[in-house]
Amino acid sequence: MQLLQKDIIIVGGGGAGLRAAIAAAEAAPGLQVALLSKVYPMRSHTVAAEGGAAAVTLAEDSLAGHFQDTISGSDWLAEQNVVDYFVQHAYQELVQLERWGCPWSRKADGTVQVRRFGGMKTERTWFAADKTGFHILHTLFQTSLRYPTINRFDEYFVIDLLVVEQQIAGVLAIHFKTGQLVQIQAKSVILATGGAGRVFHYNTNGGIVTGDGMALAYRHGVALRDMEFVQYHPTGLPGSGILITEACRGEGGILLNKDGYRYLQDYDLGPVTPAGQPKNNYMELGPRDKLSQAFWQQQKLGLTADYQGHAVVYLDLRHLGSQHLTQRLPFICELAKAYVNIDPANSPIPIRPAVHYTMGGILTDINCHTSIAGLFAVGECASVGLHGANRLGSNSLSELLVFGKVAGEQAAALAQQTSLVPVSAIMAQSKHQQTSISSLFGNSSESMVAIRTEMTQAMEQGCGIYRDNNGMQRCLTSLHNLKSRYARLTVSDSSKVYNSALLQHVELGFSLDVAEAICRSALARTESRGAHQRLDEGMTTRNDRDFLQHSLALRQADGSTAISWQAVTITSLPPTERRYGAAAHSPANSNISQLKAAQEKGLQHE
Amino acid sequence: MPDPKSASTAYKPVMSRHWWLQHRYFQLYMLREATVLPLLFFIICLLYGLFSLSQGEVQWQSWLTFMATPWVVLLNLLAFSASLYHAKTFFELFPRVMPLAPAALMIVAQWLATFIVAAGLILLLGGWL
Amino acid sequence: MNKTISISRYNPEQDSQPQLQTYQVVSEHSTSVLDALLQVQQQDPSLSLRWSCRMAICGSCGVMINGIPKLGCKTFVRDYPEQLVISPLAHFAVEKDLIVDMSPFLQHLSAVKPYLINAEKSLQPHKQTPAQLAKYQQFANCINCGLCYSACPQFGLNPEFIGPAAITLAQRYNLDSRDQGKAVRMPQLNSKNGVWACTFVGFCSEVCPKKVDPAAAVNQGKVASASDFIISMFTP
Repeated sequence: MQLLQKDIIIVGGGGAGLRAAIAAAEAAPGLQVALLSKVYPMRSHTVAAEGGAAAVTLAEDSLAGHFQDTISGSDWLAEQNVVDYFVQHAYQELVQLERWGCPWSRKADGTVQVRRFGGMKTERTWFAADKTGFHILHTLFQTSLRYPTINRFDEYFVIDLLVVEQQIAGVLAIHFKTGQLVQIQAKSVILATGGAGRVFHYNTNGGIVTGDGMALAYRHGVALRDMEFVQYHPTGLPGSGILITEACRGEGGILLNKDGYRYLQDYDLGPVTPAGQPKNNYMELGPRDKLSQAFWQQQKLGLTADYQGHAVVYLDLRHLGSQHLTQRLPFICELAKAYVNIDPANSPIPIRPAVHYTMGGILTDINCHTSIAGLFAVGECASVGLHGANRLGSNSLSELLVFGKVAGEQAAALAQQTSLVPVSAIMAQSKHQQTSISSLFGNSSESMVAIRTEMTQAMEQGCGIYRDNNGMQRCLTSLHNLKSRYARLTVSDSSKVYNSALLQHVELGFSLDVAEAICRSALARTESRGAHQRLDEGMTTRNDRDFLQHSLALRQADGSTAISWQAVTITSLPPTERRYGAAAHSPANSNISQLKAAQEKGLQHE
Repeated sequence: MPDPKSASTAYKPVMSRHWWLQHRYFQLYMLREATVLPLLFFIICLLYGLFSLSQGEVQWQSWLTFMATPWVVLLNLLAFSASLYHAKTFFELFPRVMPLAPAALMIVAQWLATFIVAAGLILLLGGWL
Repeated sequence: MNKTISISRYNPEQDSQPQLQTYQVVSEHSTSVLDALLQVQQQDPSLSLRWSCRMAICGSCGVMINGIPKLGCKTFVRDYPEQLVISPLAHFAVEKDLIVDMSPFLQHLSAVKPYLINAEKSLQPHKQTPAQLAKYQQFANCINCGLCYSACPQFGLNPEFIGPAAITLAQRYNLDSRDQGKAVRMPQLNSKNGVWACTFVGFCSEVCPKKVDPAAAVNQGKVASASDFIISMFTP
């Protein structure tokens, strides 16, 4: 077993990991940073984000506006101090990226252009055509090449955290190329491994999004917070789930059911806005949870169409015109052509909701620090408290920049003050892992593919857009059954070099843990809030009296999950009813006065 | 990026000498490169012609006779089509390297310019001879 | 519909060279070559390949399909009614099955200093008009899939050639109105393994899945390199 020593380890080379690496390298040029990724960094799933990154930009916009939209979008489950910090720092981070060369789309005068996005009252989403995540990731990756202290470990797969008495000591990884186990010691470790969308059957996520970091932390007793909140993106391609960005609707795209009717007006998002003249917070620019739920309701009513066996509705962009589409949504045109053989200028695109984002994740404080000393988490794998029960589109790209920087700086500060845990203290744990890895090889009657497929189907059926107790109980039973089958599963390929079967085996173990945490958390929340909607009697509405709280999933010694609750930090915006469309402006709503109160508290643009 | 002496022994493919026969794109590329051969012949002819001109009437007549031999005509026709082909590939590349106007427009403009210059030269030389 | 496909298999722990193996897959209208490969991996878990996003943006799944470099996820089995042979990207060392050693590619990328070089310190965004953006935007769309290296016989003959994608990236920054780093990038492009190693085969642009047109970037690099040389002749 190889042994290496670094100061800071970052697990994950996506947007959050790279931003953290650069922040750490800038904050402490004397420290050695190890950036581990199971793929080459530019393959990370940040690459697939399309729409944009939010920050208060226009003169008529205000930090209080972004603050309020995010809290309301979260159905009041966001940590308000975290949201406050976020909205104040998002703009500077997007500018930083601009200074690093990100090709943001521009207005004729050369200033940065912003677009509309769902659940945002004002245009504040920066974008680089419809490949914003791609450009952010490549800009960060290329910028990271400037820093000699960032040591990349491409295609290193972390299988365990090395923890000694609640203090991080390093990580244990498999070098994919050689099959060698490598222990890397460090003073601080940042998990930036992304989400877990792949535990569901229909998702917009890449094959690598398997919840690794969440499970790594969870197995060492760190709580996973708000795991029941899983975002369905309303517009994925049928079958593959390939993402069709919300920016299509921001640009003026409309959603139609099989009769060509704009069904969103029936779900408190109206009145209808004219096609091609989108209005913030109305109709197609409602938040993602509401839109995905409306699809489910339409399907129940038999108003969805069929596309090769999949229930679909239509995203109509025809009225935007070919020229506008090729300029603002070139990637969408390319995807529609390649995967459903449609030119969006001539035909509506068949779409359906698909799992897109895990709002929950590893519990951290506002400094991205977890309950293990020296262990940080950031990005989709973490729950710093920004998204609550529903994330607003374009907040997560900004999040990984704002909190990636925080995590990098915090990890660097901590690494400068601490020393390495002696290697003797971690040897036993590493040896134990080495033994369990080598005991995996052999032949068994269990099939990895079967277990994985059954898991994703169980999650889709039990923990989908709408949930009920019986469905979730069935899902939980299946997961337990799958876990015991997984315990008997072996890896038939015993080769060392690029052993995909071994990696997938370990990933599946991670996914099963995360799936159970999601299902358990969802069962425990007997109300409906944001992306968690229950059909059970008495649970179909929000219940602030009992559930204005975060769920915490904690792994027990016997491997089961226990749920406990944590209060939500509310600083200036007490809960009110969450409304979109014209309803948001009805006198019954007190949001406006709350917003005014928040503005008076000085949440102004710096 | 430590690369421990790995157990891996990667297979290093060797390019065969016939790589360019593998598909049409490479064949066309080799054809473009090969256009230099007939063009070389044409240039030698041209230089020989200039030399003959300086040697007086008899030599000049013999060069004209030589140029009219069927195989020389054939080779020069080949050189002509080769230069057209080379020009085509060049004209298509040019708008990509210097994107001054829409590519299609630039390609047409280049051909037009070529024909105008060529016609002008022919008229000029025809008049002089 | 059942379809027979051939996949190049190589296990460095057992084989001396890659060999083709045939498999049966079920192909529907929307089945991509990547889908087919993943079906094979379900039958035979020892098959190794790289993939992730399934939507032609992460750049992982480049392979040779009937001898032409392509992204597995953006190529469809339906378009190959006859034979379908999948092998690892050409001109790279094969690590295992469809996985090649991408480290030369990454070294070449880093060599051209592919980041914005600008000494000015400011917390304000630069101004850049849409016209200035358009000058380099196409070259910024490279997803680093490496297909252009497999299409380039010059890279095949000389692995030191920094190659289409790296030169494109250099050109992307050289053309960026916010950048001041051209002078530090030019020596790399002027060198014998820089732009002049290109003989304009042009196949790189043909295979690029993102229409980046690396051949144009390389040839623009030649113009820049030549003018660089001429200017240097007249400056002491």
